[in-house]
Amino acid sequence: MRRWIAIAMALAAVAPAAAGEAVRFDEREVALILRHGPWPQRPARDPSNRVSGKPAAIVLGRALFFEHKLSPAGVVSCAHCHAAWRSWTDARAQAVGIGELPRNTPSLWNVGLNRWFGWDGGSDSLWSFAIRPILHPREMGADAGHVATTLRADRELACRYERAFGKPPERSTANDERVLVNSAKALAAFVETLVSGRTPFDDFRDALERGEETAAARYPLEAQRGLKIFAGRGNCGMCHFGANFSNGEFHDTGIPFFVKGGVDPGRHAGIERLRADPFNLLGKYSDDWSGETATKTRHVDAQHRNFGEFKTPSLRNVELSAPYMHNGRFATLRDVVMHYSEIRPDRLHSDGEALLKPLRLSSGEADDLVAFLRSLTDPLAERAAAALSADSSRCAASTSR
Amino acid sequence: MRRLLLVLAAGAPLAVQACEPPAGFALRADSARYAVFFRADPPAIGVGNYFSVEAVACAKTGGAAPDGLKVDAQMPAHRHGMNSRATVERAAPGRFLARGLMFHMPGVWQFVFDVQRAGDTERATRDLEIK
Repeated sequence: MRRWIAIAMALAAVAPAAAGEAVRFDEREVALILRHGPWPQRPARDPSNRVSGKPAAIVLGRALFFEHKLSPAGVVSCAHCHAAWRSWTDARAQAVGIGELPRNTPSLWNVGLNRWFGWDGGSDSLWSFAIRPILHPREMGADAGHVATTLRADRELACRYERAFGKPPERSTANDERVLVNSAKALAAFVETLVSGRTPFDDFRDALERGEETAAARYPLEAQRGLKIFAGRGNCGMCHFGANFSNGEFHDTGIPFFVKGGVDPGRHAGIERLRADPFNLLGKYSDDWSGETATKTRHVDAQHRNFGEFKTPSLRNVELSAPYMHNGRFATLRDVVMHYSEIRPDRLHSDGEALLKPLRLSSGEADDLVAFLRSLTDPLAERAAAALSADSSRCAASTSR
Repeated sequence: MRRLLLVLAAGAPLAVQACEPPAGFALRADSARYAVFFRADPPAIGVGNYFSVEAVACAKTGGAAPDGLKVDAQMPAHRHGMNSRATVERAAPGRFLARGLMFHMPGVWQFVFDVQRAGDTERATRDLEIK
């Protein structure tokens, strides 16, 4: 009944006529809009990570996230690219760790809601995704031995590790890989907590669902018009679906995938990497004995069209994570909007999907779409991220041994 | 003699199989010769959620049950299929269980069943809107 009230209200109009031309949403658009919530989502624990959601593991993960010693040179931490004060990214087109990398650093807001991790989905869990930059020769350049040695040698880290896992990092080098995996699981437990707050869009969406016309009308008219394009003729919500504005899958959006010295195969190589990854959910380190979380890995299908496909990013806080696309090709949200406005279908795979067509937006319509995207910003996000800088509390001093 | 053969044929248990929807199988796909009755588990297919399909396939005019079934799905309007590959096991003659399906977009999806019998394959399809 409530839904029908909402639909009836939406079909009428949600903006006062005096403020400009009222925006009307049809039934299909309303259904799609309602699917973008409620927000925030209830935090889900990762069954493949036994310390997911555990406070002691979150504390350890937070310490590790900002720990430069995890890289052998002592200069690169996770926060080096995923800077808290930059919305968990680095504002660069392409990332720079120890060396240069071909892809843009994705923001970590709400990353725990993903199905696949990384632009190519080469990881099937957040904890295995955390291992990748630690070991990558151009990101942090460490190995399991270095990580385990660091955890054993640092009293603070060792103390936090013991609190998270019930025993200190195993002394034997034969257990180095186990210590690496546990560290990554603690990192994942921390990163799962990076959930963005409510936005002006969420208030509008909830008002729409409740049938509260006055509350809905507080949503800026230009954002409403942009939402109309997003959910309507833009078909953006087909891929940017659901509460996190991402269907979590992979698409060719006509962005060139040539990189210095070759091509970036995107999802195609991601599936190969996933299958070869000893830390994937089919391997011995998953804590999900039911095997349920590994369903996606067991059934993932490699297809020719995966070449040049990259993951649909979430749009929550998108305003704060410029530059955009997998290779940081676009500096502004308007650049992104204009790309989809003028997209050339002949640049998409011939065996790819027939979903993207040039929108031919007017300048005003492009502004409206950008206004809508900006309405997905949590106004408290930057403050919340800044509060999560390195933790200065002590563990070792407070633990009697 | 002819009469005797007819009586023997009618009595053969494998020769004739009723082609009626089993209880609880609300969905149906058709090819020229076969009907596929199926249901999803969980029953409500949500965007981005993995699900299984239990299917019962039979020849519309009676006869032996199909001996194989392939299960797939596509979005004809978008010209793409799923990003996962279902695995199918035969649970009983004419009865199959497909695991690992996932629809990653809202819209009209088409279930595709390739019904196999004695080396022949026939395709049965059924459209379903996923919201």
